[in-house]
Amino acid sequence: MTQFLLEAIWWVPCYGLIGAISTLPWALGLFRRTGPRPAAYLNLLMTTLAFLHGGFIFAATSDQEPQQQLFHWLKAADLDLSFALDISSVGLGAMELVTGLSLLAQLFALGYMEKDWALARFFALMGFFEGAMSGIALSNSLFLSYAFLEMLTLSTYLLVGFWYAQPLVVTAARDAFLTKRVGDVLLLMGVVALGSLAGSFNFPDLYQWAGTNPLAPTTAALLGLALIAGPIGKCAQFPLHLWLDEAMEGPNPASILRNSMVVACGAYILIKLQPILSLSLVAQTALIVIGTVTAIGASLVAIAQIDIKRALSHSTSAYLGLVFIAVGTHWTDFALLLLLTHAVAKALLFMSIGSVISTTHNQNLTEMGGLGPRMPATSTAFVIGAAGLIGLLPLGSFWALQRGIDHFWFSHPWLVGVVLLVNGLTALNLTRVFRLVFWGEPQQKTRRAPEAPWPLALPMVSLTVATLLIPVLMQHLSLLPDWIYLNWRGMVLLVISSCVGCGIGATIYLHKAWSRPLQRYWRMLQDLLGYDFYVERLYQLTVVLGVNLLSRIGAWLDRYLVDGVVNLFGFASIFTGESLKYSTSGRTQSYVLTILVGISLLCVLMTWSVW
Amino acid sequence: MLSTLILILVSGAALIGVLPGLSAARSRQLALVTAGIALLWTVVLASQFDPSMTELQLQESLPWIESLGLTYKLGVDGLSLPLLALNSLLGGIAIWSSDDSIHRPRLYYPLILLINTGVAGAFLAQNLLLFFLFYELELIPLYLLIAIWGGARRGYAATKFLVYTAVSDLSILAGFLGVVWLSGSSSFDYQPLLAQSLPSGQQFLLLGALLVGFGIKIPLVPFHTWLPDAHVEASTPVSALLAGVLLKLGTYGIVRFGLGMFPEAWSVLAPWLAIWAVISVLYGSFNAIAQTDMKKMVAYSSIGHMGYVLLAASAATPLSLLASVIQMVSHGLISATLFLLVGIIYEKSGTRDVTRLRGLLNPERGLPLVGTLMILGVMASAGVPGMVGFISEFLVFLGSFSVFPVQTLLCMVGTGLTAVYFLLLSNRVFFGRLSEQALNLPPVLWSDRAPAIVLAALIVMLGLQPRWIVRWSESTVSTLVPTQAAITQTSSIAIHSKFLNSSSNDRDPSEILNPSPSNIH
Repeated sequence: MTQFLLEAIWWVPCYGLIGAISTLPWALGLFRRTGPRPAAYLNLLMTTLAFLHGGFIFAATSDQEPQQQLFHWLKAADLDLSFALDISSVGLGAMELVTGLSLLAQLFALGYMEKDWALARFFALMGFFEGAMSGIALSNSLFLSYAFLEMLTLSTYLLVGFWYAQPLVVTAARDAFLTKRVGDVLLLMGVVALGSLAGSFNFPDLYQWAGTNPLAPTTAALLGLALIAGPIGKCAQFPLHLWLDEAMEGPNPASILRNSMVVACGAYILIKLQPILSLSLVAQTALIVIGTVTAIGASLVAIAQIDIKRALSHSTSAYLGLVFIAVGTHWTDFALLLLLTHAVAKALLFMSIGSVISTTHNQNLTEMGGLGPRMPATSTAFVIGAAGLIGLLPLGSFWALQRGIDHFWFSHPWLVGVVLLVNGLTALNLTRVFRLVFWGEPQQKTRRAPEAPWPLALPMVSLTVATLLIPVLMQHLSLLPDWIYLNWRGMVLLVISSCVGCGIGATIYLHKAWSRPLQRYWRMLQDLLGYDFYVERLYQLTVVLGVNLLSRIGAWLDRYLVDGVVNLFGFASIFTGESLKYSTSGRTQSYVLTILVGISLLCVLMTWSVW
Repeated sequence: MLSTLILILVSGAALIGVLPGLSAARSRQLALVTAGIALLWTVVLASQFDPSMTELQLQESLPWIESLGLTYKLGVDGLSLPLLALNSLLGGIAIWSSDDSIHRPRLYYPLILLINTGVAGAFLAQNLLLFFLFYELELIPLYLLIAIWGGARRGYAATKFLVYTAVSDLSILAGFLGVVWLSGSSSFDYQPLLAQSLPSGQQFLLLGALLVGFGIKIPLVPFHTWLPDAHVEASTPVSALLAGVLLKLGTYGIVRFGLGMFPEAWSVLAPWLAIWAVISVLYGSFNAIAQTDMKKMVAYSSIGHMGYVLLAASAATPLSLLASVIQMVSHGLISATLFLLVGIIYEKSGTRDVTRLRGLLNPERGLPLVGTLMILGVMASAGVPGMVGFISEFLVFLGSFSVFPVQTLLCMVGTGLTAVYFLLLSNRVFFGRLSEQALNLPPVLWSDRAPAIVLAALIVMLGLQPRWIVRWSESTVSTLVPTQAAITQTSSIAIHSKFLNSSSNDRDPSEILNPSPSNIH
């Protein structure tokens, strides 16, 4: 049985895809009488199957050496494209996290999307989403990972564009796809180059190849930069980060997955690529720089957001920035740990605000307040999620960040500062959001808010418990540090930074009139942060302008130069024909004249040498 | 065997034209039956075909005009079989998607069948003159199809098409005559090594003539301007046929005759051809962004995507040549799907203007299924995995990268741009609030959707299991790789010295100088 399930591990990504396909009759409107719910149940069933299947394998192989399964997919000419699956505790654990969170998010969606007519389509996309993500977790081949990453791009596009009738959603979906696509195309360049140079796409072969240090520095740098471009897009890092902010226009259950797992999938591939990236110092430096810029920038931007989802989505970019730094400095264990704890805590936060949004039908922070006593489960979830995300209480991220500080303490002391700053700013932001939403006087839209109904509450409370249990899980997997080797100074600094952040967040002036400061400089600062440092303007002025300009020039050339020359020839032949036709007038005199002129010209030419 | 295919198509065309008193519906049925039998016969041919053999199979030869060196000689190999199948399939689909209300049906359907005949014959012909005759045969029906059943500016478009294709024909004929006469041979039978005996100057000249001739057909920039006009004016089935099959004649000709007969000259010109491919890809893509007519957008995207085939052909590694065949098939399927869907939208809403259409995904009053299929089609075209467009482009890039790294990378920019223009298209047309133009659309019947659904299923199936098309061409294509391997050798040295640093000295030096292909991949 175990062996059978182990050999059938590739079914796990397929469950999601099968679930997606099985919704088609409902999505197409073939089965109208049942309503779209059966499609949702089918998907839930499939996700449960995937979760159980993966969990069984995870438990069965936890004490075994990592294994690899190889499937030959395409053998063509001298190319052998095989899919390698990685059966290790890390890969399987990631897969479990994906399927588990997907299960919870889908349960959540059942309540959240209850009144939506396109429920079947939504669940189809969620199934597709989940299949692609668990595929990435399981894949041990760069080619396969790339393929899944691209499928993820497509499903993000469709999920963000789910409510496609709204104008903001249309642009958000477009930007999400195109931004990620820029990264993906660069990644594809890297993949093709790497496959050409190394001769294989499977990670073990690539590591072996990288071990021989075979590349010239420039090539290695270009290759490394191309390879990190994909994760930059996927993890919403500067300069390809704005899509995540816009993607918050999409339905919230998808945002739960997007902010926790989708971004993590990009980072997971980055971690897998780390031995190849370490061939080039430039690529590593780029990782650290991009990570730092994003981590600090996004933390600052998050503070100025008044949309509840955007306030949290920017902190996702910030934490993934820390992961980039970790990969750039070779501390992949820190990266993986942070991905785990961040994913769980962020998913919980998004569930909590999802329940707020579904109750109040409002995403504007300045119109909320006083929800705490009215929605106890939701506010508890928010508090636990926030605590799980920052380094204050000994929950998940505390231990993850502590490990990061521990690593950087001697190798890169300045990065400790970055970690502390991001942690402090996130604490500030979360406290601010908490105060605006759950604290204070209730406003019009929050006055009569009831607690979330059970389809929302059940997954939310389960995830709350799970977040609380993360340290236990870490203990079980021996991911917690030994007491003897604890870096006490680092821990104290971490707690201090969180306390300072929370303290500022708890004391800053958050009156409703605050939304527009009177002093000019504060206002400029708020605008600067609120509009994401005007990065969108930057896109408009560079890439968008360039492509637009080139396409216009191309169209002009095509119309007036290439086609113009063709039409000129056509016109010239018609014109000469039209004008010559007058020579056939039927009058003998003109014909005789023509003949005379012709013959005399001929004579002159023939006797030219005589003269 | 092979002649039977041609006979089926010709006799079907003749029957519809000759039989008295055929109604429109009857003509269509008869044409469909003919196309169906032809498709079945293609399947039979495929079952008789042994993919592991490298030489021509199912050969037929009949003397015709011996004094001219013209023999009726047919044969099929792994290069032509997938394209033959594509031709039979798209021929049937084109007839299926023509509706009963078309005027002069007894001329229309025979013409489509004749196009199929011409294309099938050209793919099968193993005599240069015979190829030329079939190549010509396809031109006249298409001209008439555009000129009679086309849109408002059909006269202009049809004439343009005719003039361009005539130039292409002349250039190809000149090339063929030159090869045979200059080499002193008396027969026009396709012999790959015929041109080898010529001095290199003549080889370049003749290859140039073929490149121009087939370049017009593919079309390559700057010989392309007939294509957008022809597509815009042609009716939907004709567009699908034109983009799906007819353009492949150009790339087929380039691979079969250009690369096949002039391997040495080809390997010298290859870097320039790759640059030409880059120009075509980027030019087509940028132009597609600027278009507002959906058909024009798809037409320009065809120009871009056919550039990949040229890139793969110019690299001429075993993998890239295989990829060029797959790319031809995948582009045929995808562009035909897109043209069919655009046709449905045009028929129902009366416009193809992306600035006027909006919100067609609307489930109650829009075209949700057509929209879904269209999104699938554009994603396949943009190279999203799981569909055949991805694997074909991936193989093109992987196969060409070891020979022309820079050109390949530039072509990859094209896939990014494909995403840009097709996303703009799907975003504008299908997302958003339903526009006034699209209110009260007539219902789309399942018979309208069926062809696109069949093609979409094929796109996904072959994307998941590309082995099903790869296996036909694999062994044939490997023989097309230039035996001298001049390109592979010189540029592999370049790539090795460019990319590998000195630490690879422990390699066997002879291995670096003569890299076996397995060494690169």
